[in-house]
Amino acid sequence: MRMTDYPPALILLVGVVLLPLLKGRVRWTVAFALPVIALADAWAVIQAGTDSFVPFIGMQLNPVHVHAATPVFATVFAIMVLGGLLYALNQKRESELPAACLYAGGALGVLFCGDLVSMFVFWEVMTLGSTVLIWAGRQNDSYGAGMRYFGMHAAGGVMLLMGIIIVISQRIHAGDPNPLEFRHFDAMVDSWSTLSWQSGGMWLILLGMLVNAGAPPFSSWIPDAYPQGSPSGTVMLSAFTTKTAVFTLLVAFSGVEVVIYFGLYMAIYGVIYGLLENDIRRLLSYSLVNQVGFMLVGIGIGTRLSIDGAAGHAFAHIIYKALLFMATGSVLFATGRTKMNQLGGLYKSMPVTMWCLIIGGLSISGFPFTSGFTSKSMVVQAIVNESARMAELGQPHTYLIVTWFLFEAATAGVFIDACVKLTWFVFFQKDSGLRPPEVPWNMKAAMIGFAGICIFLGFFPGPLYAILPYKAEAADYANVVFSIDHVMVMLGMLAFSGLSFFVLLPLMKRTESITLDVDWIWRRFIPKFWHDVATPILQQLASVQKLLLDFLPGNGSSDAGSMPTIVRRRLPGSWAVSVPVFMISAMLLLYLVIYFWLLPAQGG
Amino acid sequence: MTPGERKAARIAWAVGLLVLGAIMLVDLGVHHHAHFEGDGLSFDTLPEFWPLYGFGATFVLLIVAKTLAVALKRKDTFYADD
Repeated sequence: MRMTDYPPALILLVGVVLLPLLKGRVRWTVAFALPVIALADAWAVIQAGTDSFVPFIGMQLNPVHVHAATPVFATVFAIMVLGGLLYALNQKRESELPAACLYAGGALGVLFCGDLVSMFVFWEVMTLGSTVLIWAGRQNDSYGAGMRYFGMHAAGGVMLLMGIIIVISQRIHAGDPNPLEFRHFDAMVDSWSTLSWQSGGMWLILLGMLVNAGAPPFSSWIPDAYPQGSPSGTVMLSAFTTKTAVFTLLVAFSGVEVVIYFGLYMAIYGVIYGLLENDIRRLLSYSLVNQVGFMLVGIGIGTRLSIDGAAGHAFAHIIYKALLFMATGSVLFATGRTKMNQLGGLYKSMPVTMWCLIIGGLSISGFPFTSGFTSKSMVVQAIVNESARMAELGQPHTYLIVTWFLFEAATAGVFIDACVKLTWFVFFQKDSGLRPPEVPWNMKAAMIGFAGICIFLGFFPGPLYAILPYKAEAADYANVVFSIDHVMVMLGMLAFSGLSFFVLLPLMKRTESITLDVDWIWRRFIPKFWHDVATPILQQLASVQKLLLDFLPGNGSSDAGSMPTIVRRRLPGSWAVSVPVFMISAMLLLYLVIYFWLLPAQGG
Repeated sequence: MTPGERKAARIAWAVGLLVLGAIMLVDLGVHHHAHFEGDGLSFDTLPEFWPLYGFGATFVLLIVAKTLAVALKRKDTFYADD
């Protein structure tokens, strides 16, 4: 077999086994070589364009396949691993490098999957790697956050798996020659009208992917989990899970209207929660949700330009978001602090970090001549184009106009969030008295390198446009993006949004607080309900249990006076994982029973 | 705030306002096209619409956020015993 017959992900997965066995320079040399080889191999596979198949219970797995969006995602994933490793060079945690390879390997694997089963396997590999990466962070709540993260993704994984099983069985029934194929779900483009028992499989797959994208009501896992990584671990974490979800949504659900609404909610949610946040890495996690929201809007629009926009923005986003997490990680590394109310005045001693953070902040806002400007604007333009097309056809399109204005408002919002607010409270405001030295050379080099990419793509987006799914559309758009009209729209909007921040500065005073989110339900309400309501009821039932057991022959001396086993102990740590997975599994099992037994009886 | 810092803040405000003024001035000379012309919407071509939109949008977002915080803000140790 040729090299291009194997998934490029295997190269990174080799690192999981190899890296723990190596020490010192050899370890780092291998760590740097792996993403470079993986990138070269990925492009060899892309150029060859061939598929590779593996027999699987009478069907064909297709672990090597090139989707239209594979080149852009594979390229940025490899660049990200390389930059992330350079940034992590001086970290001491032994488990972090193999975990990063497992995580990135899983993500890269998904990009080349031509079938749903291989996709699911790599998807779960990614979950495993990212969970270990969170645990390796060894922050105050790394273990708990890792468990909650794993629980959330295990629940999403169960939905995805059930959806895949249903879709495959439906395809087999319909006589599909390739039932495992990971392809676009055309039937979903009609959106809400397809919500039925028959389309349940597709909806479950969509929901499973949306959980990983950080869509509502499960957006809170991102600010909960990512800030618990180490400075370098969080940089890696920011790149893969959500963007792999974006990739899979792009392949399977582009043009599905409901995805627009999920995206729009995320774009606004990310800004509002970010504005209230005091922790610099939690703030960036919220703005990550905001940006993935922009990508989802592009996917939901589903035109060639919007798909290019979503994919191009994912590329730009991975780089500038990693840059922002590198800069905030450097602040944590140098000061040991992440709370804005405890920081300030660092411009004097950390100028490189400050400028890199500003460049990342400008890029995330789509400031003219940064990478976000040349990528996000494609989605913006695609909304306008699609609205005009629908107006010509006389179809309802007000939602697109509203989406567009909210989209622009969220863009202005993320500018004050991730650029102005972050820079102001960390590097200026009051003098915290902290004078930490700049971070080591490798961290600076990684930041400067990524900042360079942000600026380069802002002036010369051509190389990025050339690897997008519909490169011709993006290339045509290049003239529009640099027009004086467009530049002044963005410049005027962003500059004056910055003014509003300073006008309202007294309202922005930082306090050591968090903002409650939907996760309050499973982190506080359900456990409290269990403890204060359910447990007392079950304790009362203990007397009934005693009575029943006493009636049983030979059980007279049983330990019936104690509480039922289920309430005897406090909820264990694994509750975060077992309960959601159990509930989702039970629900889906019920669905499967109804689907397979009841519907055929009704002729469904 | 030391006297030096106060002076630096005043200079920063002055420079910032100058830049904003320059942007407004340049914006007057730029012809903005209407994004939703087909729907008869052309208010986004009005002079200084975009600076105003940027200011207004973030102003509203900030106020919404602060209003939300009244109900949802908690000490950051809220989940500490999880």
